[in-house]
Amino acid sequence: MIASEQAVALMVVLPLLSALVINMAGWFDRRLCFPIALFALLGSCCSAFITVSRVIKSGVIHYRLGGWAPPMGIEYVVDHLNALVLVIIFVVSLLALLFSYKSIQVELPEKILQFYTLYLLLVAGLAGMTITGDAFNLYVLMEISALTSYALIALGDKRALVASFNYIILGTIGASLYLLGVGHLYIMTGSLNMADLQTILPALLDARAIAVAFVLVMGGVWVKMAFFPMHGWLPNAYSYAPSSTSCLVAPLMTKVSVYIMIRMMFSVFNPNYIFVYLDWGRLVVPLATVAIIFGSISALAQKDLRKMLTYIIVAEVGYMVGGAWLANVTGLTGAIYHILADAMMTLCLFMVVGAIIYKLKDSSMDSMEFIFRRMPVTSVVFVIGAFAMIGIPPTCGFFSKWYLISGAIETSQWHYIFALLFSSLVNAFVFFRLFEIGFFGKKPADGHDHHAPEIAVSEAPVTMLVPMVLTALSLIAIGIYTNEIVTVLITKTLPVGL
Amino acid sequence: MIWQLDLLILSLIVLCALATISVKDLFSAAIIFGAYSFLMCLLWTEMGAVDVAFTEASVGAGVSTVLFVAAVFRTTRKVKDRGVKRYWTKGVGLLAATSVGGVLIAAVGDFPGFADPLSPASTHLSPYFITNTLTDTAVPNIVTSVLADYRGYDTMFETAVIFAAGLAVIAILRRSKTGVQHESREKVILSEGYEDTIIRLVARKMVPFMQLFALYVLAHGHHSPGGGFQGGVILGASFILIAISYDMKMLLGRMSEKWNVLLGNIGVLVYAGIGFVCLLLGANFLDYSILHRILPATDEIMARSHGMLGIETGVAIAVSAIVVSLYVNIASQGKHDKGL
Repeated sequence: MIASEQAVALMVVLPLLSALVINMAGWFDRRLCFPIALFALLGSCCSAFITVSRVIKSGVIHYRLGGWAPPMGIEYVVDHLNALVLVIIFVVSLLALLFSYKSIQVELPEKILQFYTLYLLLVAGLAGMTITGDAFNLYVLMEISALTSYALIALGDKRALVASFNYIILGTIGASLYLLGVGHLYIMTGSLNMADLQTILPALLDARAIAVAFVLVMGGVWVKMAFFPMHGWLPNAYSYAPSSTSCLVAPLMTKVSVYIMIRMMFSVFNPNYIFVYLDWGRLVVPLATVAIIFGSISALAQKDLRKMLTYIIVAEVGYMVGGAWLANVTGLTGAIYHILADAMMTLCLFMVVGAIIYKLKDSSMDSMEFIFRRMPVTSVVFVIGAFAMIGIPPTCGFFSKWYLISGAIETSQWHYIFALLFSSLVNAFVFFRLFEIGFFGKKPADGHDHHAPEIAVSEAPVTMLVPMVLTALSLIAIGIYTNEIVTVLITKTLPVGL
Repeated sequence: MIWQLDLLILSLIVLCALATISVKDLFSAAIIFGAYSFLMCLLWTEMGAVDVAFTEASVGAGVSTVLFVAAVFRTTRKVKDRGVKRYWTKGVGLLAATSVGGVLIAAVGDFPGFADPLSPASTHLSPYFITNTLTDTAVPNIVTSVLADYRGYDTMFETAVIFAAGLAVIAILRRSKTGVQHESREKVILSEGYEDTIIRLVARKMVPFMQLFALYVLAHGHHSPGGGFQGGVILGASFILIAISYDMKMLLGRMSEKWNVLLGNIGVLVYAGIGFVCLLLGANFLDYSILHRILPATDEIMARSHGMLGIETGVAIAVSAIVVSLYVNIASQGKHDKGL
């Protein structure tokens, strides 16, 4: 019983403690790093599942750190929404860890120790950001996750250093804006606890400083999630990073930021303030439309697989922001569901590219040539991931688009619907072009023979294939169980008064 | 509060900020930035936030200036302004900066007055801390008890942030050639390059006092401004002083890289470990009051006080080791051969 109560704390504490243990044990033997990390994340994963089942059974969990009652102390608040996000974080980080086992040995043989320590600190930071019920504590954990991800990205090739530097500058600006926003809230209310803030804020509806706080918090979070036009740092940072880094960072960082946006919108401020008093939905949804269209068109122009995926992420961020700002239940359901779906899709595709880089040392589109014969399992996983991105029915990508489009129809935001359909079309075009290269090779423009050369099967190692296949299966499973996920978890999180 | 003094300090701060971003010599920029931090420190003191001022003085004005100087020394002193003709980029930057500034100014009208006793920040939570801290935790310094107990979870991750920063610098800069790494152990060479007897003598006499003062700041944090962060930074600065006045081998001969990293690690582990012990004993994470079961002759309230001392010590160990590690890696570009 005690174990299940403390599971809430263990989720964050286990990665933190094991990061420290790894850094010590690794000085004596590097081979210890991976198993310790694996066990820690397994433990966190189990804790996350225990917590989810507790939340489903008995509702919101509060956990007082240091035993102090909020708002004096800091508390964890786990409701259905962040329980879902926590499970995503730990499942993705566990799968990405398995995947990294081989690729890290090739990419960063000398920095294994630092890699795993930073990796676990990053996971602790992301989980801590998600689980906390305190607006300032969120900032501290944001620093942890940001700092570790800068370092993990900078471990890539030479271009990664510059990309990471750009990310540091913009990420710090984002975090500072968030902190300024929280500072404004503190000046006006004297509190940092989210629930406490939510009870105080309605009385301060007319204060301009509160509107400023809201703008600053949103601005900060948008920079962090690379929402257009603050996306500049993302494509280079994610595509020049080591592939083991991008498998962790790309699926999670933007999604956790989207979660924070939703949390701040509905658990600190309230729908009435945002959509009725300020009425900014009409400003943000068009911006989301532009983000989607810009991301899609840029993805179309890329020759490198990872660059292409990063621009798709920019477009997907537009999906989620737009969904959350549609100001209706269906749109928000779609946005939350898409956090789950997009995390798994992005993980799936980044792992495929990582496997291709591992085998072929190349991430250009040409490397996909005859991939179906060379790496059959990987390419099947790729097809499933691509179908999910396009939004073909049994996969989860279809259902999130369904909810988002239905939500947009309810509020007649036609431009947003157009952007969603346009982006699906672009994704279909991009991925089917890759399928073609994968099956038939590049077009023999200069009169080469049309027969494909003999290519031996050479698959990625098992530690890469297992997480890849599991992710691909989860894409279908999430799609099939959409109804259950939405009714059991997502509808319980929707704010009152939306 | 003397408004004339505040006005003077604030205008000097603005001047320093403008000078820092406009001066072309990066070394000057680092020094002016140090001055900026000192002025901030004065301002905090004026506001009565002595603990913050102490941290600003030791971290902002002290160690980070040294780190900036080391980074400038290892890279370049002159700004290469290649983007002079990119008016478009500059326009976007100007637009972003002015709009953020405009938004910030828009809010000022709603703020409570300076040092207003009726402001929300003074009436909502502060009365609880002022009346209950001593009975809750037996620590007279309210700042310490808020930092290390009521919001101790934040502070744990702040320490982890510093640890992550140290690790990030090692991960990016350190060029480890196994074998070369241990070569420097052979002999402590006292001089290489420029020497100055006066500087060395003074530094040598100062170091023990600095370290003693660091321990005092750490141990007396319960009763006066100070604590783990400030104490740790001063302790770390004493090692950096050795490295600057002598050379890096002198420092590494006394504190090897391995021990340095391990100490940084152990410091954070002490903090998180104390929290974890509380959890194992059946209380919530970081609930020090449960420690009375394993600490002899303490009740639940004194256990909180002792718990805080424990984690502050962890913070001091971690911060001092990591500050040294940052300096060593930045000043030698990760090669650990010679410093400034």
